[in-house]
Amino acid sequence: MAYPVGVETGAGQLGAAAKAWRVAVVLGLTVLFCAGSLVGQDDWWPFSPWRMFSTSQASTGSVISTGIEVQTAGDPGRWVPAPLTPENTGLNRAEIEGRIPQIAADPERLGTLARSHARLRPEAPAWTALRVVRRQIVVVDRRPTGEVRTQVLAEWGAR
Amino acid sequence: MGGAVNRLAAWLFAPMPLARVAVLRLLVFAFVVVDVLLLHTSGWYHGYADPVWYEPLVMGRVLHLPAATVLLVETLKWGCVAAAVAAMTGRAPRLLGWAVAVGWTWYQYVAFSYGKVDHDRADFVVALVLLPTVGLAHLSDQRRSEAAGFALRAVQLAAVATYFLSAWAKVRFGGWEWVNSATMVRAVVRRGTPWAQWLLEVPWTLHWFQWVLFTAELTSPVIFLLSERWRRRVVAGWFVFHAMTYAAITIAFWPHLVMMLAFLPLEQYAARLRARREPLGSPRPRVFERLTRS
Repeated sequence: MAYPVGVETGAGQLGAAAKAWRVAVVLGLTVLFCAGSLVGQDDWWPFSPWRMFSTSQASTGSVISTGIEVQTAGDPGRWVPAPLTPENTGLNRAEIEGRIPQIAADPERLGTLARSHARLRPEAPAWTALRVVRRQIVVVDRRPTGEVRTQVLAEWGAR
Repeated sequence: MGGAVNRLAAWLFAPMPLARVAVLRLLVFAFVVVDVLLLHTSGWYHGYADPVWYEPLVMGRVLHLPAATVLLVETLKWGCVAAAVAAMTGRAPRLLGWAVAVGWTWYQYVAFSYGKVDHDRADFVVALVLLPTVGLAHLSDQRRSEAAGFALRAVQLAAVATYFLSAWAKVRFGGWEWVNSATMVRAVVRRGTPWAQWLLEVPWTLHWFQWVLFTAELTSPVIFLLSERWRRRVVAGWFVFHAMTYAAITIAFWPHLVMMLAFLPLEQYAARLRARREPLGSPRPRVFERLTRS
């Protein structure tokens, strides 16, 4: 044992009841974590499955990366990429990527990002238009080919 | 059967030094302060996001938790910091510890209920909930207690469950072919650092790494069967893995790293640190001398 000699033992023993509820807690947590991993989804958090990097990516295909582009009043008509970060829009890239169907159905949602941007960055030029762009980076045999396909998924403009 | 149950109970409640719990708590609460203020701030920004993006998790539906507002996120942020700093004094360990548990968990909930759940932060809830059950524990209290042993064991179990269950998730969501997929290529393409780009030029590296990682995760519970010396080596190995991951794709499972410290004799490190800071020749308390000898 690596513990120093002379340490007092025997102190701090637990009674039967104190042990019983602790065992029950461990069993309960085990059941919840295992059930979450077996059938749970993300919204079971904190018992959701531990699925970081768990999806299989085909070794030939494309890696999708979603971003936003914006226009400002000072430079109308020109789309400029903007960081899709919480500091800028209140939401991050994954939170937008997961909601593409809802955004496509109701592009007005994108206007809330411009409003959040104005609250978070009052000193920056206000966004007058915003669009979600999907970039597909082509991968062949685990190697990016350098080919990038770009597609506009939804667009919003202030009026 | 009865013998096995007794052995399992003896293992779950193996007495551990109270000082180890005290040091781990100090680190856990210090981490909460750093985490809330610097590391994981997306919840705070959700105070500024439109409620149209709010997607309540099961926990929020059961507890009727509202969408975030600026007032809510500021209250949770500074409430967490205040409770964690107070808890670091070691006073009122249950009251303050559970206040931190509620505050931190709610703050994570706010971060995760806008469409993206981070999959690495659940085990820390176990540490926050169970470490206070030990009650008072002083940094220099070398007495061992079963309550301390249980809390440390529970934290260790949760930390190792993270590895094992993430292998499980890879099989469930990625299928067994996960090990031969291009998942790591995807990760490096999307968020690789400049010094990780060469991995894309030599594709077998990331492919091989997936096999190693998956095997290590699946066999992680073996850590409980190892000798103390090998246990620490395995913990060191995991820290090296996490450091490499951070260098390659700037992802680190910070709360989990704190929990892995529950495997280490923290009270001995702390005593050594204090002993080194003592000026030479000054009388040292006996407990430190005993510790530095070991």
